[in-house]
Amino acid sequence: MNTAVATLNRLFAWKIRGIRWVEIIGVLLVGAMVFSGYVAKAAAARESARISDLERQISDNGQRVRLLRAEVARLEQPNRLEALSRGAGLGPVDVHRQATVGNLPGLAPIPEPRPVVIAPTPAAPGETPAVEVER
Amino acid sequence: MSAHDPHVGPRPAPSWGVRRFTPSWRWLTEAMWWVEHAFGRAHANARPEEDTRVRIFVILSVFSFVFTCLTLGAIHAALLTAGAGSGAQTHPNAVVRADMVDRNGALLATNIVHYGLYIDPAQVWDRRAAAAQIRRALPRVSRTRLQNALYGDRRLLVVNRLTPREKVAIHNLALGGVSFEPEDVRVHPLGESARHVVGSVDTGGVGLSAAERAFNDEIRAAGARGESFQISIDLRVQGVLENELAAAAEATQAKGAVGIITDVQTGEVLGMASWPASNSRNLATAATYEMGSVFKTFTVAAAIDTGRADMNTLLDASEALQIGSRRITDFHAQNKVMTLEEVYLHSSNIGTSRLSTEMGPRVMRDYFERFGMMSRAPFEIPSESPIVPNEWSDSTLASLSFGYGISITPMQMAAAMGALTNGGRFIPLTLRKGGRPDIRGRQIVSPETSLTMLDLMRRNVVRGSGGRAEAPGLRVGGKTGSANKSVNGRYSTAHAVGTFAGVFPADGPVNARRYQILVLIDEPQTYPRTGGFVAAPAVGRIADRIAGFVGVARRADPYRTALGDRIPAFEDLEGDGR
Repeated sequence: MNTAVATLNRLFAWKIRGIRWVEIIGVLLVGAMVFSGYVAKAAAARESARISDLERQISDNGQRVRLLRAEVARLEQPNRLEALSRGAGLGPVDVHRQATVGNLPGLAPIPEPRPVVIAPTPAAPGETPAVEVER
Repeated sequence: MSAHDPHVGPRPAPSWGVRRFTPSWRWLTEAMWWVEHAFGRAHANARPEEDTRVRIFVILSVFSFVFTCLTLGAIHAALLTAGAGSGAQTHPNAVVRADMVDRNGALLATNIVHYGLYIDPAQVWDRRAAAAQIRRALPRVSRTRLQNALYGDRRLLVVNRLTPREKVAIHNLALGGVSFEPEDVRVHPLGESARHVVGSVDTGGVGLSAAERAFNDEIRAAGARGESFQISIDLRVQGVLENELAAAAEATQAKGAVGIITDVQTGEVLGMASWPASNSRNLATAATYEMGSVFKTFTVAAAIDTGRADMNTLLDASEALQIGSRRITDFHAQNKVMTLEEVYLHSSNIGTSRLSTEMGPRVMRDYFERFGMMSRAPFEIPSESPIVPNEWSDSTLASLSFGYGISITPMQMAAAMGALTNGGRFIPLTLRKGGRPDIRGRQIVSPETSLTMLDLMRRNVVRGSGGRAEAPGLRVGGKTGSANKSVNGRYSTAHAVGTFAGVFPADGPVNARRYQILVLIDEPQTYPRTGGFVAAPAVGRIADRIAGFVGVARRADPYRTALGDRIPAFEDLEGDGR
């Protein structure tokens, strides 16, 4: 026990240029901590400022979007659209002129595809034709 | 302190063995004394240089410890704490009140930043020129207020609610002493469209009427989260309803008109309009009417539901019905014995009066209560109370059977018709999208009665008084209603109310998607003034135009083809049933 205490005391009393090493290490540690604390807080402040800036931009854009949506809603008022449509001679489509997608072939049958005829190109004497025409 | 300090001698240095078992405060005291007497001990041990170093070391240790704790705390707070460094704690798109949107997300009401225009006269160089420029850029500004602000002695508000465009116009004048302050203003960009549904808000952002008031807390909460608040209205349906209602009201030179479209299965209101839209009073909830023959639907339904009648029941309408001194006649007198179907299709007052008097006051009152006729409609927008009879004599029962003697709001009628056409469940109407989750439908008539009434209403459009409500392929059913209004205590033939309560599609199972359309025309001036002429055509046109929006496909039924052509009735010519 005494040996251990004596070793500890010796270690404690070890000096570098008259200054105990534990004090030097302590000062270095404190310095490191001060620096790391500064770095962390500075980084956080920088991020916070950036986030605030982004939030302000989002808010401004949100206001602009809200303004544009209100303008769109004003322009698309049912009464206004109906008046414009009537003015342009538009109106509800008569039921006899309405059709679903499924009815379209019955209204106007899809034309049969025409057979594609490729005219034979005059082959050079002794040359095999490149395309064989189906007959 | 010196080597001759009198306290030094008698106080021994604390040993580790003693320190371990002494109370902490005593250990601390002894430790302090130990440090305090270090100088004495150092001198006693012939090592005087140790004294200051021990003190420095202890102080350094204490400061290091404290600073370490502070540093770790600062780093933790800066980097690891939830929400730290994230700027504002509120949502960036948070507003006082959320945008109100329809069921498809179309905007109904929103908050826009407007600006108040302030002038500090001390900073204005040329007041006359400033006044002229401001008036040119902003013609709506009050000349008096502008003069007061320019020639006053302090900064004054000239005009508020400047739109962003107006603000830019003033700002571009580059006048000294002019400043702006932002104001959050509730804007209803649709103007008068849906105004009776959306409602209004005061300058403090509190809802004053309609949905703005009914959902005030929820709208504010959604606004704080930066979200929109949806209501059940479909703006496309609302637009069609408003346009057709206005067209019908103008065509009939009516005093007022009401239109309501609901989903009968959920109770959602898809459209609600009150004409004229410029009138702040919403006639759908704030006015009561005697609606006439539409009530025959409920009388017949009660008779069928109680088992007192079926479609083949015969009722004598060959002559007027005498109840005491009162003589009840038919508007379209057939002067014959009629089946229940004929009573409904010919809208026979005599037939329904016979039914109601046979059922008696207890049954009639019970069914009227079931249909919600006797009490205020349970709806988010406060409604007028109905005017109900005090005594239930035979004469009153006869009147009630064809829609006189009781005044209800159009909302009550829409809710009752919905209940009758959705399988018999009374579901309170709501502006909440998806219906009210807290309320389950109350069964008021059997599903069989509901199906029978749907068929009867469809027949009424095919063969009865509601023919003008037909929309090709949409299987519209419904009942007309015509009533004279009471003026100075007497019913006046010059003041009438024409109603049509329709439903489409009227075929299919009871739980099929189905929509109810109510149109009421108040005091039409054209002739005839009956519901079949003034209201039914509007219902047909509305159904025709909204069918695509609500997903109802055109289809044939036993009476009409999908294009609306008549299907000849089956005639058993061979007599073999084929």
